[in-house]
Amino acid sequence: MPRIDRRLFHNFDWPLFALTVLLTGMGMGNLLSAAHAGSAGVFASEVPRQLVAIAIGAAGLILVVAVDYRRLERLAFPIYLATCLLVATTLVVGSVHKGNESWLTYGPLRMQPSEFTKLGLVLALSRSFQHYPPSEIRRLRDLWRPGLIIALPVALILLQRDMGVAVLTLLIGSTYLLFVRIPPRAWVTVAVLGAVALVGLWMFGLQDYQRTRIINFLEPGRDPLASGYQVIQSRIAIGSGGLLGKGWMAGTQTQLRFLPTQHTDFIFSVLAEEWGFAGSAVVLGLYLTLLLWGLLIARRSRDAFGSLLAVGAVGILFWPALINIAMVLGLFPVIGVALPLFSYGGSAMVGTLLSIGLLLGISMRRYMF
Amino acid sequence: MVPESRLWLGALAVFLVFAVFLGRLFYLQVVQGEALRVESERNSVRTVRIDAARGNILDREGRVIASTRPAFDVEIIPSELRDADRVYSALGQLLDEEASQVRETVGKPRGRARFQPIPVSSDVSFEQLARVETHRFALPGVVTEVRPQRQYEDGDLAGHLLGTLGEIRLEQLDRTSFEDYSPGEIIGQSGLEAVLESVLRGTDGGRNVVVNVAGREVERLDEVEPVPGNTATLTLDLDLQREAVAAYRNDPPPGAPAPPARESESPPPEKMGALVALDPRTGDVLAMVSRPSFDPNDFADGVPPETWRALTRDERRPLQNRAISGQYPPGSTYKPLLAAAALEAGVISPQTHFFCPGSFALGRRVYKCWRKEGHGSVAVHEALVRSCDVFFYQTGLKLGIDRIADFGHALSFGRLTGIPLPEEKAGLLPTEAWKLRRFGEPWMAGETVSASIGQGFDLVTPLQLAVAYGALATGVVMKPRLLLRVEKPDGSLVEETKPQLDSRLPISEANLAIVRKGLAGVVNEPGGTGGRARLPGITVAGKTGTAQVIRLEHYEGVDQSRIPLRYRDHAWFVCYAPAEAPEIVVAVLNEHAGHGGSAAAPIAQRVLAKYFEKQGRLAPEALMASQAPKAAAPPHPPAQAAPPPPPPPPGPSEPAGAEPVEGGGTGDAAD
Repeated sequence: MPRIDRRLFHNFDWPLFALTVLLTGMGMGNLLSAAHAGSAGVFASEVPRQLVAIAIGAAGLILVVAVDYRRLERLAFPIYLATCLLVATTLVVGSVHKGNESWLTYGPLRMQPSEFTKLGLVLALSRSFQHYPPSEIRRLRDLWRPGLIIALPVALILLQRDMGVAVLTLLIGSTYLLFVRIPPRAWVTVAVLGAVALVGLWMFGLQDYQRTRIINFLEPGRDPLASGYQVIQSRIAIGSGGLLGKGWMAGTQTQLRFLPTQHTDFIFSVLAEEWGFAGSAVVLGLYLTLLLWGLLIARRSRDAFGSLLAVGAVGILFWPALINIAMVLGLFPVIGVALPLFSYGGSAMVGTLLSIGLLLGISMRRYMF
Repeated sequence: MVPESRLWLGALAVFLVFAVFLGRLFYLQVVQGEALRVESERNSVRTVRIDAARGNILDREGRVIASTRPAFDVEIIPSELRDADRVYSALGQLLDEEASQVRETVGKPRGRARFQPIPVSSDVSFEQLARVETHRFALPGVVTEVRPQRQYEDGDLAGHLLGTLGEIRLEQLDRTSFEDYSPGEIIGQSGLEAVLESVLRGTDGGRNVVVNVAGREVERLDEVEPVPGNTATLTLDLDLQREAVAAYRNDPPPGAPAPPARESESPPPEKMGALVALDPRTGDVLAMVSRPSFDPNDFADGVPPETWRALTRDERRPLQNRAISGQYPPGSTYKPLLAAAALEAGVISPQTHFFCPGSFALGRRVYKCWRKEGHGSVAVHEALVRSCDVFFYQTGLKLGIDRIADFGHALSFGRLTGIPLPEEKAGLLPTEAWKLRRFGEPWMAGETVSASIGQGFDLVTPLQLAVAYGALATGVVMKPRLLLRVEKPDGSLVEETKPQLDSRLPISEANLAIVRKGLAGVVNEPGGTGGRARLPGITVAGKTGTAQVIRLEHYEGVDQSRIPLRYRDHAWFVCYAPAEAPEIVVAVLNEHAGHGGSAAAPIAQRVLAKYFEKQGRLAPEALMASQAPKAAAPPHPPAQAAPPPPPPPPGPSEPAGAEPVEGGGTGDAAD
């Protein structure tokens, strides 16, 4: 580890840090309310678990900030492969939890390696695009290299039957398509191929419950007490919050447990019910600021790897937020994606904080060239 | 280095996504906010009904006959059970039940049913409740509920009069009188519970509660207290009712020496029959007994099938209220009617004598007097006192059946007395026109002979006899009254009922006096058949009757005790007291018990004695003293009033060779 340059402290990205602290604190407060719901004690274990995850994530964040991200250039592929290996391990020794095999358990610790695969993937893609700049990719077939890098973890995660994370990983990988120069004609081909793939996925790749979820998303009143229940209750929770909300720990939908999986997938409904339009708009605004700030870091970075890595980190934050909030607002099917910094879940929390650590590291080293 | 233009594109995309989110949030929370807020309340707020307590029923002195008490049920909510087997065995121990039985009751509910409480034990004792409550925290999923439960303090004491409760029936729900009832409600289905339904029913309260997704109450929002039903005070006097029932149950009167042990190898079976006590001045029903009875408590919580089966299959018909819907031949208790009607019609005078040689021949048929030796030449007074059949055969023939019916109708026979009970029957008062209509055959003189002594077609209810004798005692027919007043639970008066006059008897005071004098003689004169009803210091007036159940030549002249029970004669005694200023009428029917003088009069006497003792007008010692010498030397002819076992006079009998008359048992009544 190199000597720590004084300029690093001087250049530390305090606004981003403050945003992170603010969102994490809000997320924790919101989780307290969601975990309090129902009889006391039932969810008590989730609050300390989340706090432990935040502590581990914070330590990781400091470590990532301390290490010059350029040292990661050489480690990018080993890290990528290591995270893929972890996912592969779950297929052999993983414990089934909540219907998929994405968990690894070591004593009291339980982790979901797929959360770290995203980081590995972003590192590997950044490294790859550093050597083969995206601006030089002009034909679809030029995408074979990043395509392979994305396909390996996505395939492994699909084998775990964790569709939400697989889609998410695919989307994070595809963030870089923003920079390729492939003509629109080619995208038409992609669209057609994609449609065929979707139909194939619908017919052969999806479990019955997943199909039901999608149908219920399209028509939530059809079966209000089965799977459409989540969508309806979420909608009621959000709407009943009104302009100013019902108050912290006072949301009836939340506290009386009408909301399903309220502390994980539907955590945003809790926020919307208890804090109303005003509170949710503030949180959305902070999120938007965080993401735009990340893109600003990518623009300001003086080297290609840092820039690409920053875009990837923004992707890691953006895509789950997009899908989760769209799902909670009834704009997208329920596929089980957590909201970064808000949902209960240790691995996701650690992964998110590590991503922000990357952004902080890139941001404060932007003058070093 | 990444192209800056593409980064701006990305930023724009992110911005647009969040703009869409914000728009969607605005739509849901601000535009639809109000509607969805209502929906969230509908989700979590539920209105729970709180059953109102049914009003109390009191006797005329304010003593509780029927009340409502809290009953506690133990229930299990399967979704909240942890370690079900342990809970089952613990609960089984606490409730003195088998764990396997508890498990069977709970079963294995699925889906939403898992959130519904399943009753495991209803109406547990206070001890059991305390035990369950103490171990509450060790029994997750076990809850106790409280609900109002009807309680009849004296069990079967007045089962028929009070009636029964039951779940409202589907066809009742369709009626307008039940339009504000909902399915599953418990209502009065018979007796006073049914008649007083609108009085006794309270107004159910309600409670808005917040429930969680499992439907469990987590918070109370507001509550409207239920209003208990009104209190109904009856005309009934519990002391008289209890004394009457004690007499039927062969319980010795309080203070009386215990019955000699030699006879109690097997206690005598309970008496069957009915008793009605009225205040003739107001029509107040002071006591109404029908035996065998049932316990209305068995119905208050839904009658168990085995109890219901036992009650409906019992050939003694314990569910029938004999006092108002049992129709019996009145026997000799009918004779005062004949006497009064004949005097008023002028077909006899107080001095008209008929000769009784012990039988009376009409055409080819011979009608016997109950006293084989005959009564000699008797006028109306002695005919009543000694219950001479032949005198009334002749009187009846002179009067004719239709004039008997006219006066009978005035006395309330053959029609409803108007007691406010749905089960009342009208009895039967035959006329010539009725016979023709019913059988298509003309009336025959022999049938008048039978009807004159209360046999043949005549059928009356014990209540009708009580009303009729009350009318003879006072000159007016009063509608029987059961309800004295209605009060709100706080004691304020809602309604007071007034005595209701039915009609005045179409007879002169002078003629009535003759009949009354005869009735007083029945009890108080030597040779009178009702001596067993006599009270020291108070003049009782009454008439005995022995009603033939069925005419069977097979049993002719056979001792009653050797005839199968169901063919034995009914014993009647109807009386009022004090004879000079009547305050109470008592009609007693003792089914298949033989003679009115020995089997029915003592029951009436116990009730009368209780009535006067209560008012301090009769000392119990005086009553005992008056009865003591009786056992040694009966003051009456040996034919009746003998100490048990009474050597009964010959049973109703037909002379050999007599032709049977169609359409009912002819015959002669004993006494």
